[in-house]
Amino acid sequence: MRDKKKVNIKPWLFIVPSLVLITLFVFYPMIQAFITSLQTGMGNNLKFSGAANYKRLLTDSTFRKALFNTVLYLIVQVPIMILLALAISSMLNDKRLKCKGFFRTAIFLPCVTSLVAYSIIFKSLFATDGFVNAMLMNLHIIDAPIAWITTTGFARALIIIAITWRWTGYNMIFYLAGLQGIDDSVYEAAAIDGATGFQKFRYMTLPLLKPIILFTTINSTIGTLQLFDEPMNITSGGPANATITISQYIYNLLFKYQPNFGYAAAVSYVIVVLIVILSFIQMKVGDDKE
Amino acid sequence: MKAKKVIAAALTASMVLAGAVPAMAEDGGSKITIWAWDENFNIKAANEAKEIYQKAHPDVEVEVVTMAQDDIVAKLNTSLSSQSYDGLPDVVLIEDYKIQGYLTSYPDEFEEFTDVLKAEDFAEYKTGVNVVDGKLYGVPFDSGVAATFYRKDMIEEAGYTEEDMQNLTWDKYIEIGQAVKEKCGVDMCTLDPSDIGQIRMMMQSAGVWYTDADGNVSISNNQGLKDAITTYKKLVDAGITKQVADWDQFVGAFNKGEVASVVTGCWIASSVKAAEDQNGKWGVAAFPKMSENEASVNASSIGGAAWYVLKNVGNAETAKDFVATTFGQDVDLMNQLAEDIALVSTLNAAADVPNYSKGSDFFGGQEIFNDFTQWTSEVPSVNYGMHTYALEDIMTEAVQAIVGGADMDQTLEEYQAQAEAAVMQ
Amino acid sequence: MSKKSKVLRTLEYVILSILSIVSIFPFFWMIIAATNKSVDVSKGTLLPGTYFMENLRTLLDSDLNYLGAFKNSLVIAVLTTAIAMVVSSAAGYAFQIYKSKGRDVVFNFILLSMMVPFAALMVPLFRLFTKFRNIPVLKFVALDTPGSVIIIAVATAFLIFFFRQNTKTFPKELVEAARIDGLGEFGIFTRIFMPTMKSTYAAAVVVTFMSSWNNYLWPLIALQSGGKRTLPLIISAMGSSYTPDYGMMMTAVVIATIPTALIFFLMQKQFVAGMTGSVKG
Repeated sequence: MRDKKKVNIKPWLFIVPSLVLITLFVFYPMIQAFITSLQTGMGNNLKFSGAANYKRLLTDSTFRKALFNTVLYLIVQVPIMILLALAISSMLNDKRLKCKGFFRTAIFLPCVTSLVAYSIIFKSLFATDGFVNAMLMNLHIIDAPIAWITTTGFARALIIIAITWRWTGYNMIFYLAGLQGIDDSVYEAAAIDGATGFQKFRYMTLPLLKPIILFTTINSTIGTLQLFDEPMNITSGGPANATITISQYIYNLLFKYQPNFGYAAAVSYVIVVLIVILSFIQMKVGDDKE
Repeated sequence: MKAKKVIAAALTASMVLAGAVPAMAEDGGSKITIWAWDENFNIKAANEAKEIYQKAHPDVEVEVVTMAQDDIVAKLNTSLSSQSYDGLPDVVLIEDYKIQGYLTSYPDEFEEFTDVLKAEDFAEYKTGVNVVDGKLYGVPFDSGVAATFYRKDMIEEAGYTEEDMQNLTWDKYIEIGQAVKEKCGVDMCTLDPSDIGQIRMMMQSAGVWYTDADGNVSISNNQGLKDAITTYKKLVDAGITKQVADWDQFVGAFNKGEVASVVTGCWIASSVKAAEDQNGKWGVAAFPKMSENEASVNASSIGGAAWYVLKNVGNAETAKDFVATTFGQDVDLMNQLAEDIALVSTLNAAADVPNYSKGSDFFGGQEIFNDFTQWTSEVPSVNYGMHTYALEDIMTEAVQAIVGGADMDQTLEEYQAQAEAAVMQ
Repeated sequence: MSKKSKVLRTLEYVILSILSIVSIFPFFWMIIAATNKSVDVSKGTLLPGTYFMENLRTLLDSDLNYLGAFKNSLVIAVLTTAIAMVVSSAAGYAFQIYKSKGRDVVFNFILLSMMVPFAALMVPLFRLFTKFRNIPVLKFVALDTPGSVIIIAVATAFLIFFFRQNTKTFPKELVEAARIDGLGEFGIFTRIFMPTMKSTYAAAVVVTFMSSWNNYLWPLIALQSGGKRTLPLIISAMGSSYTPDYGMMMTAVVIATIPTALIFFLMQKQFVAGMTGSVKG
């Protein structure tokens, strides 16, 4: 390239606006939050106290619960949702499928359904005398109604069901967008070679979608580690903090309880560290050698 | 290319709209803003107060803003901790459970009322939370006095009378509940395992709280709390409760006639009345006391709030005058509010207003306001301290454990330590 | 032509139909609730009522200024989405197309910004914004203006990452070819990349609009006067009543859902449109 110099400056012109905004509105507050995490005190009367807040984490049983729940949601929910979204989008990408528009819209709708509405309806569907129990009993899957919202294990399951319900359609659209980048001729050639649907999915769709799958996995990981809406609105973190997440705990420390800005910031940094580690692993596993 | 056109049109439209938003005029000294959270209740009250105040002070502009209670808390904390006053209200309604935290964290932000109002003019338990060093920092608003709302028809079917509901104890309540369950097939009340408001009410009826008078965590050596948990366990074990998981289901249960009683703050009256088909079937009795606790009385409280004036926002003088002359002393306003929003005032002088001795048709002609006011004056005063919600979350776990069969003393011992750690600043 | 057996095909329809019903049900309930009286909503009715106009009237008559909030939300969401599509996609594109020194370091640095829970940043961010008030050039992003909400949402690690990942499927030969044709770097981005990646942009528009439309915590803190508030704040204010009017609330949320659903409708054609001819050729 003759104009190599030009090419070297231009890329940064594309990037600089974003970089400036993110530095100012994320990194600067992040550093401030870190400084706050080293302080204790009340209201605006804070004093430096070193690692006191971080030490406190070690003995805080609510924090342990929140950490356990958050990791549990992550391990169980993210894989289920990603696989489901992938399966749905590849079904929907089939040229010969009828009513595609309807299915696509219907499955996307959960993520635009108002949180207020959907938490009310989920609570009523999963009430002890609600629709879900009635159905399960009619099908003889269970003998006695399950107390979904008030039994620890079932309440956690309910949260997982709720997040999956809400976000699968959302992830689906990333895959649909990604699938458009795959040339039909690739599939046609494979069809001539006698590849089955599953083989096409496994050996062609998956590798070609890899960058997007990596993206949605990291994104869902972050979303789950910062999970707040569902436990807040469906179980209020209950029964007895059994479904509380780290983000909800941060919110409680900031606003529900007597505000403790320093300790809340310290808890936040635990999430940051967790996400950085997990994203790093996912990037390493997911990155293809280009 | 259709999409492009749509986008272009949307962009143009939004630019126009953005430009059309008029800049807020910078006001002089005569505008005050009020924040509260219930369109059907405290917001209406603020608007009526505004109307009255503006008759006397036509030059004062009053803006009343509805905002979720959690949102008010978030905004106050963010702004006050940054000492940034732009956009904060002059007058704000704050829940009794929360105010101690504000007064302690931001001691120089709240206006005091001692020179214009007397704490003795309000229900004693209300000023228990907002008088600091003898100074009154807010004007008490609604009473959260607890009451037992019950279905007269069901109680009678079970073989009891209204007489039996007087001087009620929890033991008697459970006994009636068992009869109701047997005869009518409905539960006595709802129970939300994530919300132990019932225990809070029982505790206050015995004059204690999660914290002692000095604000120290008091769990393992708190007889009142132990009695409350014992009573609560009896209620659960009796099998006469319907489990609910949120407010909507709680309201739905009595609106649908699935429970025979509701024991909570008097503010629930308007939700009870919403089920028009149950007109005349309801009665109201005082809060049940705990028979095993000597100190426990037939009166308690749950919820309730007071008006506060933020000192450094701008128009503290006007705001203070507004709150003091309306909610602080206007008996006619209280009379009107009893009619319009069923407010049970905590201003002592309101006890004699005409609307309080009107019978309520829905409650079979019972003078419910007189009863509420009477009970309000009997509520034991407790210091809620700064950590009610933090301690409540921890205690919910403890209570679940004990109800599930864990040893009370040992469990409370463990949770005492946990609670002390949780309230550390 | 299809190798799929009839059984498999039928199974596909059955699965998709079940998923659709499960997905739609709460949405359907929300609409039903909007047509009923509050007390009937609490009682759990599933039949359409006749109370919609009444609920609508209550909503519009309320002091909360629903229409004003709708307008505020629309302005913020449309401007955020439009600006974000340019700013963030440019960065995502550049991170993938150009190989320069330090690229990956900077990219990972940007990714890091996704990882902090927003609640933790809120107070420091608020303090930062309080300083803008006195700087004339920053007036348009000062607190209590739509700008303060827009500016923090136009460059997000999420979008940059998304565009970078999608650019991986974008054929680099197109860039080379365009350079040979004498097109400048910005020209390549706007005239080749943007039209080619329509379905990527469509997905990005949908999710950006949606997150801006539903954004809660920052608008809550940044927008101060009652008249500047957005829809989620207003709806939250309705829900905090001791005696919530569920009928009115559901009417409010149904109307609030329309724009995002509409955007999805408009954009979804792009998901099936496929790449433009220039790529295939």
